[in-house]
This record gives sequence, structure tokens and C-alpha cells, in this order.
Amino acid sequence: MEKMTLSSKAREAQSANERWMRYLGFPGGILLFLVILYLPAGAGASASAQAGAACFALALVWWVTEPFPTYVTSLVLMFLLLVTRTSNAKAIMDVLGMEVIWLNLLAFILSSMLVKTRLAKRMALWLVLRFGHKASWALLAFVVLQLVLAPLIPATAARCVMTLPLMIVVATIYGSTEATPNNFGKNMMLLNLGCISVLSSVTMTGSSANLIAVGLIQNMGGHRVYYMDWMMLGAPVAIVTMLLMWILGQKLLFRIKPEEQVPQLEGGLGLVREQYESMGPLSFQEKKAIAIFGMVLFLWMTDIFHMRWFGVEISAPFAALLGAVVVLFPRWGILSWAEADIPWHLLIFSAGAYAGGLALDDTGAAEWGVRMLFGGMNLKGVPFGFTYTVVISVMMYSHLLTTSKTVRTLIMIPIIITMAKALGWNPLSLALPAALCIDWVVGLPISGKPNVILFSTNQYTVGDNFKHGMLTCTIGVIILVLSGATWFHWLGITPAFWAVAP
Amino acid sequence: MRSLRLGAALLAASALAFATELPSYQVRLTAARDGSAQAMATVTVGHCPAGLLVLPLGFSAPEDLKLEEAPPGTRLELGARDTVSSLRFQLPVALDAPVTLRFSFRVKQPLQALKTAPGEKGALPAGSRLFRHGFVNTQETPIGVYRLEFLFPEGLIAQAIREQLPKLEKQEAGPRVLLSVLDGQQAATLTYANVHQGDATSMAVELVPRQRSLGWLVAGVILAGLYLFYFRDLVAKKTP
Repeated sequence: MEKMTLSSKAREAQSANERWMRYLGFPGGILLFLVILYLPAGAGASASAQAGAACFALALVWWVTEPFPTYVTSLVLMFLLLVTRTSNAKAIMDVLGMEVIWLNLLAFILSSMLVKTRLAKRMALWLVLRFGHKASWALLAFVVLQLVLAPLIPATAARCVMTLPLMIVVATIYGSTEATPNNFGKNMMLLNLGCISVLSSVTMTGSSANLIAVGLIQNMGGHRVYYMDWMMLGAPVAIVTMLLMWILGQKLLFRIKPEEQVPQLEGGLGLVREQYESMGPLSFQEKKAIAIFGMVLFLWMTDIFHMRWFGVEISAPFAALLGAVVVLFPRWGILSWAEADIPWHLLIFSAGAYAGGLALDDTGAAEWGVRMLFGGMNLKGVPFGFTYTVVISVMMYSHLLTTSKTVRTLIMIPIIITMAKALGWNPLSLALPAALCIDWVVGLPISGKPNVILFSTNQYTVGDNFKHGMLTCTIGVIILVLSGATWFHWLGITPAFWAVAP
Repeated sequence: MRSLRLGAALLAASALAFATELPSYQVRLTAARDGSAQAMATVTVGHCPAGLLVLPLGFSAPEDLKLEEAPPGTRLELGARDTVSSLRFQLPVALDAPVTLRFSFRVKQPLQALKTAPGEKGALPAGSRLFRHGFVNTQETPIGVYRLEFLFPEGLIAQAIREQLPKLEKQEAGPRVLLSVLDGQQAATLTYANVHQGDATSMAVELVPRQRSLGWLVAGVILAGLYLFYFRDLVAKKTP
């Protein structure tokens, strides 16, 4: 657990199907690119929008089938955007300097601090010891653990890598191994998968995509979303959903037999206790890490007051930057630069994805596409509640079609804002609830990085993942719709559900 | 003193009653393959006193200006030209109810190919043409909605909208320039509402030939073929 790294090595194709997918993915991507590029020009789309859509489709096929590592595909995409005249060089290159890339980079420095000081490990062990005497409570312990880690470590892959060893140990304690997986193991892995992704929507800094959505809502919708605004909406929805999934997973989807409710291996919990006790009292370095993380968290949570206190707003990346300065400070800090585990390949992947997403936005391709999608439904003049339900459902389930939260955000949120304006609704009323769905990438093993990592444990099948993910998303849609009609309305975010725009 | 106030109030009321209103100003510019373009403008005038009505025009050198529809006796001539053109309507009677003024004119070479000096970097590739249009309300009367519809010549499509100003206000539904099809031709429509004196709007659209280069097809087929050949070991049956 101390050796958390985010490998940049290309993932080896496992099965024959995967190898064929990889082999055919390359020409498949090119074929799709050519088909879209040579299609008769759409009335509402420019040639650059068409080229942008073609480039993005190629990248999407390659990201899913992986004939190259994802970051190489991102680099190819950036080059294609230039030579097809979809974007200019400056627009493409500027992406690497975006706020979200900086936040990613700085978050990984802070994560490295938690791993090096073993503070993350201590927290995880403590939580399991407190809750892990029965299968159901052990599962709940992980819900709590992921809830605690989510605001501390924005990178979902890092959270997954950090807690995976514990998941495997606890699954083994309850008799679920790679060779003989049982329903406890399925519940353990899939509940964690859900928690890692869904609980990222508790805070706006829970993922980079959340921050992008906040930026889009501000720039395009004209509404500033503060940390606490997001949390008041996102936290109840995400937490209630995961608590329901904790119950429904073990009672409905993958029923845990009474005999599986008790630890199956001798010394399981004892091993956890042994590890915890061997850590001894909090070290000075751990206390320093708590102080640094506390400072960053404090700045993230109080951004609404910064202007009054400091005369300047310290945005989320700059709060993390201040934390990184302290962490990396010679003699008084915790890490040296070499010890900071920064996955540059993920940043390059992200940069390419953002460049592609922004190109779709700038050329009007995304807007044209989603306008076609939503336009077919003719939402003009219908009650707000109906429009809201359609938007939430499309946003929630659209994660099955993409592998990047960021790209999905960059496509969907601008369209939803534009659509809300066109329909006469406040953009915030549709865009913010839709943004809460961004992190719910739980339907397929390729839907997110934690999904890929957890799928490698061989504790569940693609079908299990799909069932669990779809139930999670459906519960999420129901809760978001109920919240939209009540809680969000009381907070002044949504109008009455039966209201019709003038 | 009292009668003075009454007089002033009556004057203000009559001025308000005769304040000119321009709810809409729409221009449709249809470009032909030979490079010229024909414009048809439709202006709705609400209340307007008799006499001179000056309207701004977003084209610097209109030709063959012709009044197509107006109250009888109305005369139209091009106003004094500096950098911005204007139109001068002589209305024989005051207009109490909304009236449509329609006029047409010809625009020479609205599409430009950017020329580059020897040694200078080109801004647009060969075959690209740029259409620019700017409109400033130079008159006191605010315009409800200004709209320019530019119908592209046959064989050309929009590569990109290079400029669309001013930026949308928070409460405005976009986009400022919308691509669509009008009368069977691809068109770009610039829309700007509540245009007060001094307000300006503009758009620039780059047009390219509809036919795409076959280079992409050739390159794609070659790359796909090379990959399928050199990476065939990915799916080759492994010998024990």
C-alpha cells in the first residue's frame, strides 16, 4: 500500500476478444473518422465541426479498444485537431495550462504525501477495525472509508489503488478469493467501485470534471457555484444512493448467505489489527500531513469567504498549490520532488481529451449533436419536471458511451446550458443537477480507471458490473428527480416541477 | 408657470407619440457563384414623423439601390458616405401604424481571399474565402432586432465562424451566428437584439469548397492496411 504508483505501462490485452478488439480498433477508428469526415455536411454544422467530430470519434474508438496507450491516442488527437483545421495550435497547446490540469498535478503531490507518511493507511485500517466484525458492517466500513477519502484525494485511481489491498484482504477474510469469488467479494468490489466514483460527486473538488462543470456553469451560464452550494446538493444524493446500494447489493443483487456473514479465515481481522498496532502512535510527519491537508481543505471549503478575508480569492488549484509548496519545502516539508508520484501520462491523456472536448464545443459540433438529440424530443412548453428528468437521465446513462468524465462534461454541460437558455429556464436549474451525475461512471469495466483496476481482481463479471452499475444509476436518477422537486427547489436551484417556461 | 409646465408636458407627450420605432431590421444577402451578391432588406418602422428617416447600413458600397416596398411617395437615397454607409428615406406622411420598408441593392465581391505578400505566412489555405460583415447603429433610434442572413454561394460551405460579436450576454440564448439552411442553401445568420446608438455587431465566416480532399481517404486506408499487416501477431494463434 505504501508503494502506490500509477503505472504508465500499456495494459496487456487479456482475452482473445480483447486482442481482436485492439487489432480491429485501429482500422475501426480510422473508418469511423473517414465516414464522419466525408458525410454530406450537416445544415447546422460547419466543416470544422464535422472534422472535430470525426477526430473525436477516432479517439473514442482508440481509447476504448486501446491499439495504443490512451495518452498516445490523446497526442494523436491533438495533432489531428490541428491538421484538420478543427482547432488552432494555441488553443490545443493552452489546454495543458488549464486550471484542471494544474489541480490534477497538485492533487497527486498531496496524495503522495498521504501515502508516504502512511496517514491514508492508518485511516483505512482504523475504519475497518471499528466496523469490520460482520460482513454487512465490513461493507459499510468501506462506504465510510471511501466517503472520508473522497474529499481528501480527488484522484479516483489513487483512491482505488490505495484501498485495493484492503479490499482484497477483507474479501479473503470473508471467503472470496480470485479463484473462488463469492457474493461478498462481488459486493465488496462493486460497492467500492460505486463509492469511489459516486462519492466524488460529494464535493466539487471530488474530480477534475466537476471543476470543469463549475467553470462552464460560470462562464456560459453566468452562475458562480461555490464549494458549499455543490456539497449541499451533491452530498445527500450520493450518500443516500450508496447507502441504498449497500443494502440492495447484499439483499437483492448478490445475496450474502448467513454463513458468509462471518469471517471465513482465521486471523483476518487480527491481521488488520496487527498492521494497525504496528504503526504505533501518530508520527510527527503524519501530524504535519494532517496540518497541511487541513489547511488545503480549509481553503477549499471557505472559498466563499476569501474575498472578504484576504481581498483575493484563493481558487482550488491555488489552495492545492500552497499545500504543495509546504509539502515540497526543503527541510521543513515532507516530500522531495522525486518522491512525488505524478502520472504525467494521465495528464497528457487528460490534455488530449480536453482539447478534443473543447474543439467539439468551440466548433459547435457538440452543441449541434446534442441539440439534434434533445431537439427530437421538442421540450419547448413542457413542464420543467419533464425536461429535468430527461436531462438527468441522458446525463446519467451517457457514461456508457464514453470513457472520460471530462469529455462527457465538456460535451453535455454546454449543451444543457444552451438548451436551458433556449427553453427559458435558468441554466443553473438543469446544469448543476446534471453536473452531479458526472462522476457516476459505474456501468462498465471500461467506464473509468477504478473500474479497470477493480475488474482485474476477477471477483465479478462484466454482467455483474453492468447490473450493479445500472441499479446505482437508476437509484441516482430517482433520488435526483425527487431532490429536484423538493430539496433543490427549496434551496432555490430548481423551479416548481409543474412550471412551464413563458 | 403652470401653463409653461403644461406646454412642456404636451410637447413631451407629442414627442413620445412620434418617437420613431424600428422593431426589426433584416437583411438577406444571397451570394452568387460569380462572386457578387444581391441583398434584400426589410425594415419594420413603427411610429415615425414625416420627413427624413436615416437608417444605418452595414455595407460600404451598395450598388443599384432600389426601393421595393414603401408608402407611396417615399424616396430613398444613399446617405453621405465615410466609413459607414447610411440610407436616407423621405417619408411624405407620418407613420402611425407599423409599416414595412423593403429595399434591395447589390454588393460587389463580399467574399475575400486573403492575399499574402511574398515571404509572409498565409492566414487561410488556398480555396478559402472570408465573408465579413459589420453593422453599427449610428442613429438615435434603437433597433429591436438586427438580423443578417448570408446565403452561401453554391459549392461552398462554412469551414468555421471566425468572429461573432458582441459576446452573448448572460441572459441571451445563443449562438450569435447560427448556421442553417435557407432556401436550400447553407446560410449563416447573425442576430443582435436591442441595438442602441453606438452598438456594433459583426461576424466573419470562412467558406471552403464543399468537396473534401481525398488525401484523408488515401492516408487512412494506407495506415489501416499497414497496421493490419504489421500488427497481425496480436491475433495470431499461439503455437504451443
